[in-house]
Amino acid sequence: MTDNVSREPMLDMFIFETLQLLDQLEQSLINSEKESGFESSIDEIFRIMHTIKGSAAMMLFDDISKLAHSIEDLFFYLREEKPENVNSTEIIDIVLNGVDFIKNETVKLENGQEPDGDASDLIKEIRDYLGNLKSINNAGSDSPDSESSHTLEVEKDQKYYISSNKAASTPKSHKYEAVLKFEEQCGMENIRAFSVIHDLKEIADVNYFYPEDVIDGGGKSENSEIIQKDGFRVVFSTDLGLDEVKERLSHTILLKSLDVYVINEDLEDIMGDMPDTRETELKEQELKMDGKANVLNDSSQASEQNEHSSGRQLSNEKKTGPSADNTASSSKQSVISVNIAKLDKLMDLVGEIVISEAMVTQNPDLEGLQLDNFHKAARQLNKLTNELQDVVMSIRMVPLSMTFQKMNRIVRDMGKKLNKSIELEIIGEETEVDKNIIERISDPLIHLIRNAVDHGLEDPDERVAKGKPPAGKITLEAKNAGGDVWIFVKDDGRGLDREKILKKAREAGLIHKPENELTDKEIYSFIFTPGFSTKENVTEFSGRGVGMDIVSNNISMVGGTIFVDSVPDNGTTISIKLPLTLAIINGMSIKVGKSRYTIPTISIKESFKVKNEAVITDSEGNEMIMVRGEVYPVLRLHKFYKINTEVTNINDGIIVMVESDSRVICIFADELLGEQQVVVKALPKYIKKVKGIGGCTLLGDGSISLILDVAGLVS
Amino acid sequence: MKRILVVDDAGFMRASLKMMLERNGHQVVGEAENGLVAVTKYKEIRPDIVTMDITMPVCDGIKAVKMIKEFDPDAKVIMISSMGQECFVRDAILAGAKGFIVKPFKEDYVIQAIEKL
Repeated sequence: MTDNVSREPMLDMFIFETLQLLDQLEQSLINSEKESGFESSIDEIFRIMHTIKGSAAMMLFDDISKLAHSIEDLFFYLREEKPENVNSTEIIDIVLNGVDFIKNETVKLENGQEPDGDASDLIKEIRDYLGNLKSINNAGSDSPDSESSHTLEVEKDQKYYISSNKAASTPKSHKYEAVLKFEEQCGMENIRAFSVIHDLKEIADVNYFYPEDVIDGGGKSENSEIIQKDGFRVVFSTDLGLDEVKERLSHTILLKSLDVYVINEDLEDIMGDMPDTRETELKEQELKMDGKANVLNDSSQASEQNEHSSGRQLSNEKKTGPSADNTASSSKQSVISVNIAKLDKLMDLVGEIVISEAMVTQNPDLEGLQLDNFHKAARQLNKLTNELQDVVMSIRMVPLSMTFQKMNRIVRDMGKKLNKSIELEIIGEETEVDKNIIERISDPLIHLIRNAVDHGLEDPDERVAKGKPPAGKITLEAKNAGGDVWIFVKDDGRGLDREKILKKAREAGLIHKPENELTDKEIYSFIFTPGFSTKENVTEFSGRGVGMDIVSNNISMVGGTIFVDSVPDNGTTISIKLPLTLAIINGMSIKVGKSRYTIPTISIKESFKVKNEAVITDSEGNEMIMVRGEVYPVLRLHKFYKINTEVTNINDGIIVMVESDSRVICIFADELLGEQQVVVKALPKYIKKVKGIGGCTLLGDGSISLILDVAGLVS
Repeated sequence: MKRILVVDDAGFMRASLKMMLERNGHQVVGEAENGLVAVTKYKEIRPDIVTMDITMPVCDGIKAVKMIKEFDPDAKVIMISSMGQECFVRDAILAGAKGFIVKPFKEDYVIQAIEKL
């Protein structure tokens, strides 16, 4: 096992877990600020810092570890001494700085860089603050003790790091894995497992166990079921021999069967010694758990070292249970984390399979043949591929909560800088969207929130003068509607300035029709034009004139649409419509000459034949059709893309009416070929961007169809 | 043959445990209806094993385990618990109980547990 190969998973896990913990921590801190006290969250904050400290020390990231340690010390003091006169906002500011540092370093790691940041200033600041706090609050005689024992703890931690070529050196000489099964219906298997752990701790260092959160007693029936089915697995190190260990464990009450294996330190060996019945999936979990458990073990070790009562140790462990629950993927053993690249690959493959399926079932060779059995089998295949597609799709769906929760921090920071008090309401954060889409809307959302805080919300004085509550309110809402996800960013601020936007639009020469014909919506939409900003003063956060157009671009890149609505002095609402996924759409295939195009079915309103007489031509030669009293422009695809076709007479072809952004055009094509699901592929880079083409797809017969970007066509 | 102290506030439970134990060749050397009585009787009788209910008036099973273990660190106590008392069972184990049986229990399991210790 070379250094590189073996270090990767540990590092990945460290990054993954640390980032997750930091997000949690940020959340707790912000909640604490709202409650202006740490009562409810101090244990969690303390635990998170403790965990990060431990894992960073294991990975030898000194700065992170030391910084986490200093924050932990601070909260240790707060928790144990409960000093009065604590300015929680000050503390939160300091800690958030620390969190940012650790986050930065972790992101560096994620990008393959060295975590080279210097935390000494931050550490000093925190230590000074703690020192101050202590002197102000006349620290009792025991607090220096607790700190020194704390320092001891760190030294212990540092001995405990794991590196690939120097496996963790536990002082105990033998390492065992035991699988215990209990009698059927003996009840409370999780507590029995807990009892086993408790018992083992007298004679051994317990390294890890599965299921993991048996310590948290309350109602974990699924753990009981796992134990009932697969047994309870525990790995521990001890000086005792195999027979002695067996003897000890066999005294467990209501034990049905017991297997004990001797194992070596290496991960691979653990896997090798696993009972045959275990499948690869479990092994993957194993890998993950091993890392996690090391952290766990470390924390319980540390508190033992700390010479606190076993009660304290227990409280530490208790906390580990439920909190691990929050980080869904790391504690629920039924969840594994998968590299997103693999998922993308899987998605691609499924796409190819869908196409291949069409290639087979719609194969031209089959035309005119009587193939009852073939069609039966084909239907089955079709059903399965659809299912497969749905499943793969659902794997990629991620709730918006992480993205939404990030906004708390942004709102808080900006509110402080701009002296505005702001309440952020989050609704529907459980709404799920394709992972790729989430990644790409995060920045636009941040931008919208910033805009709302900076431009939208008034200063408290101004708000009071207008008869509004002094605290501004921003609502971030997500919901499912049909095949789309809607996200709303709503503020109750001053609203957009219609006149200012109009003036600016006039100056920029954006207005192409009489001003009195412009609807409010059209006027507000000017803010999405490049370089458009009515804010005279550029602030740190927004108003540089780049922004809304980029937001709008980013949204349309993921197939979404953005709308703006505003009522003066009542606030602005930005609505974003997003597709659930980017990869597969329902499309209507149309033919123009020898080319095929696909129109996303979602944007089709209707299709119909028209007579020549229904076509109106204006003075510039633009064709229009009157449908139910409304006039719509006609876009002849063969003209637009300069394609040779025999069908140039409106009578002979077909009209497809499409809508985007509440603008409608009628596309003229030779004929409709039919509706089918298509896998969207980006146009290759060597093809220059063509107006109105959003991508391409492979058809069943292997030919290529260009996917029309309706939004691009109508504009 | 083990000498057993049965602790439970419900007479019915004590009686059924006693019946099960005795018909498998063990001897119930004492009964107690709450934790305090249990501790006193333990000191008097020094049984091999105690079966201990958790929820009892005056002094619950967990406190009783603690007191018994203080008096005799080698004391062997088996908790008798109901479903949903996971937290209490855990506390009892931390207090030194050797194991537990979940109500409603099977005779086999009770005997097995008693004989394991």
